[in-house]
Amino acid sequence: MANIVLNNLVKKYGNTTAVHGIDLQVKDGEFVVLVGPSGCGKSTTLRMIAGLEDISGGTISIDGRVVNEAEPKDRNIAMVFQNYAIYPHMTVAQNIGFGLYTSKLQESERKKRIEETAQILGLEKLLERRPSQLSGGQRQRVAIGRAMVRNPAAFLFDEPLSNLDAQLRTQMRLEIKKLHQRLGTTIVFVTHDQVEAMTMADRIVVMRDGHILQVGTPMDLYERPADIFTARFIGSPTMNLLPARLIERAGHHVAELDRLGASVALSSAGISDAKGPEVLVGVRPHDLVVGAQAGEGGLCLSGTVSVVEPLGPETLVHLDLGGTSIIASAPGKIIPKAGDHVTVGAQAGSLYLFDSKTERALCRM
Amino acid sequence: MTATALPVKSGRVLDRLSLRQKRVLWAWTFLAVPIVFYGAIRFWPTLEAFALSFTNWNLLRPAAFVGLENYKRLLVDPLFWQVFRNTFLYLIIGTPVSLVISFVIAYYLDRVRFMHGFIRALYFIPFLTTAVAMAWVWRWFYQPVPIGVFNAALTWFGIPQQPFLRSTTQALPAILAPAVWAGLGFQVIIFIAGLRAIPTSYYEAARIDGVSEFTILRRITLPLLKPTIVFLVVFSSIGFLRIFDQVYNMNFNDPGGPLNTTKPIVLMIYQTAFKSLDMGYAAAQTVVLFMILLAVSLIQLRILKDR
Repeated sequence: MANIVLNNLVKKYGNTTAVHGIDLQVKDGEFVVLVGPSGCGKSTTLRMIAGLEDISGGTISIDGRVVNEAEPKDRNIAMVFQNYAIYPHMTVAQNIGFGLYTSKLQESERKKRIEETAQILGLEKLLERRPSQLSGGQRQRVAIGRAMVRNPAAFLFDEPLSNLDAQLRTQMRLEIKKLHQRLGTTIVFVTHDQVEAMTMADRIVVMRDGHILQVGTPMDLYERPADIFTARFIGSPTMNLLPARLIERAGHHVAELDRLGASVALSSAGISDAKGPEVLVGVRPHDLVVGAQAGEGGLCLSGTVSVVEPLGPETLVHLDLGGTSIIASAPGKIIPKAGDHVTVGAQAGSLYLFDSKTERALCRM
Repeated sequence: MTATALPVKSGRVLDRLSLRQKRVLWAWTFLAVPIVFYGAIRFWPTLEAFALSFTNWNLLRPAAFVGLENYKRLLVDPLFWQVFRNTFLYLIIGTPVSLVISFVIAYYLDRVRFMHGFIRALYFIPFLTTAVAMAWVWRWFYQPVPIGVFNAALTWFGIPQQPFLRSTTQALPAILAPAVWAGLGFQVIIFIAGLRAIPTSYYEAARIDGVSEFTILRRITLPLLKPTIVFLVVFSSIGFLRIFDQVYNMNFNDPGGPLNTTKPIVLMIYQTAFKSLDMGYAAAQTVVLFMILLAVSLIQLRILKDR
C-alpha cells in the first residue's frame, strides 16, 4: 500500500521532451488511469515510476520516499506489460514464482504463495502448463499473478489489455477492477482506450504531448471536460463540435451557429472568459435526439441522413447539415433511412461551449 | 458443363484443370528446377559414391566389385583411427570454444551502441576472407623469431619459444585457432540476432523482480536462445567435421603433418583419392564421413524436438 507523488516530472530524449514537468498525486489504494493518444508520454511516465527510464527532472516519491535513484527492485512495485512478459520456457507456476526468486522465503511458503495467487486468479488447474498452452486471457492473468505474488505496494499496468480481442478485453477489465476492489492496492494503469479508462478508474489523467490536460473522476471528465481534446476523447461516439459566433441580440447573449441558421441563447456566466467571438458549441450524440423538441435554450438542427448505424438499444444517425456532418441518436426502434430529412434536438443543459482560440471550455448551457 | 456454369473456352488443357490441379502444376513447375539440379549434382554422385565404396576402382582399370573389403581395410588402418581421432578433436575443442567466445562477444557487443556496426564488421571480415590467405598469414604468426609474432611475444615475456606447427601436440590447436577465428563473425551475427529477438520486456520484468544479471542470463537469456544455440552447435559441428582448407594450407609442405597429427578425414579422403588414386577406398571413407554427419544431424533433430 502506497501513495505515489510526481512532482514537476520531466523526461527528455536528447532535444525532444517527452514529459513536460507534470504533477500528480495518486492516493493510497487509488485506481488511476493515464489515458491519451500514442506518444502523449503516458507510458514514459509509467516507466519512470517503475524505474525503467531515467528521470530528467523533478521527483517521484513512493510512500513518502523519493525514489529517483532507486533501482526498480527497491521501489516495491510490480508491473504488468502489454506483451505479458511471461517466459515461454517456464510453467505457469515457475512464471508466477519468478517474482519470488530473490525473496528469502522457505520453499513451502513460496509454494503456498504461488498457490494462493493462482487461486485468486483461477489458475490453479493450469499451474503445470506452459504459456503456449494458454489462451490470451489466461496469459494475462499469469502476468498479473507474477506481479501479485510479491505483495507490492503498487501495481503498474502498461496497456495490458491491448493484445486481447474485444470480448476478452471487456472480461479482463472487469476482473482487474474486481481484483482492485479485493486487494485495495494502488494501481496506475496506462491505456489509450477511453472506455477502459472510464470503466475502471477512480480518477482519470488525460495526457497529450507530455502534458496533463485534466485530472478527475470519469463522470467529472464526461460532464465537465476542461477543453476540446478531453471533450472529444472521453465518450463514444465523439462529441459534435459546431463552429459558432457570440453575438448580442436584443440584450441577450446568443451563440449563432455558422451557416446553419440556428442559434443558442446563453446566460452571461462564463462568456466573459471568451477571447473572441469565435466559439464551438459541443453536443454529445446521445443528447442530440432525432425528432426531439429542443425547448427553451436548447438546440434544434435539421439535415439529411447520410448513414445509419443501428446498435440495438439506440441508433446512431449521421447527418449532413449542408457540408457539416454530425452524429445524432435515435431510440433503438427508430431507424431513419439514408436520404431522409430529419430534425434533431438537444435539451438546454446538455450543451457545451468552448473557446475556438484557446480550446478551453467556457461553460455548460 | 451445366447451364449455370460460366462460359469457358473448351479445348485448352489448362482450362480443364481444377483450381487445385493448376496450383499443383505450378508448384511442381517451379520445384522441378532445383529438384533436377540437386538430383544431378548432389544426390546422384552421392549414390555413386556408395556404389564405388564396394569396388577397387583406380581410374585406369574398370571397377571390380570387392564387397566390404574397403570397409574392413578401413577398420584396421591405423591412419584412419588417427585421422578419426583428429577429426573429433577438431569438433570437440572447436565447437564449444568458438561458441563460448562468440556468445561472450555477442552478449557484450549487443549492449555497445558506440561504433556497433564497425566493431561487428571487424568480427565479420575474417568470415569473408579466403581460408588460403588467412592460413598463410597465420603460418607466419607461428614462425620462430624474428618472423613470428606469437614467439616474439613469448620471448618478450621471457617464455621459451614454442614450435607450434612443427610440434605433434601443438599443431592441431594451432591450426584450430584460425578456424575458430574465421567462423566467429558469422556466429556473433547469429547470436546477436537471437539476442535481439528476445523481447526487452522480459528483461524489464526481471529487473523489477530484482533478479541478478547472472540469473537473468542463466534462467532467461540462455533458455530462450536454445534454438539459436542448437543451430550454431550443429552448423559449427558440421564445419569442424569437414575441416580441410585450414589444415591443407597451414602445413603446406606436409598437409596433415607432422606425423599425421593434424590430418582430418576430408584430407585423408582427398589424399587417398587424388594422390593414391584409390577411388574405392576413398569412397568408403566418404561414406563413413557421411554417416558421422548424418548422426550429428539426427541428434540435432532430437534436441529440437525436445522443445
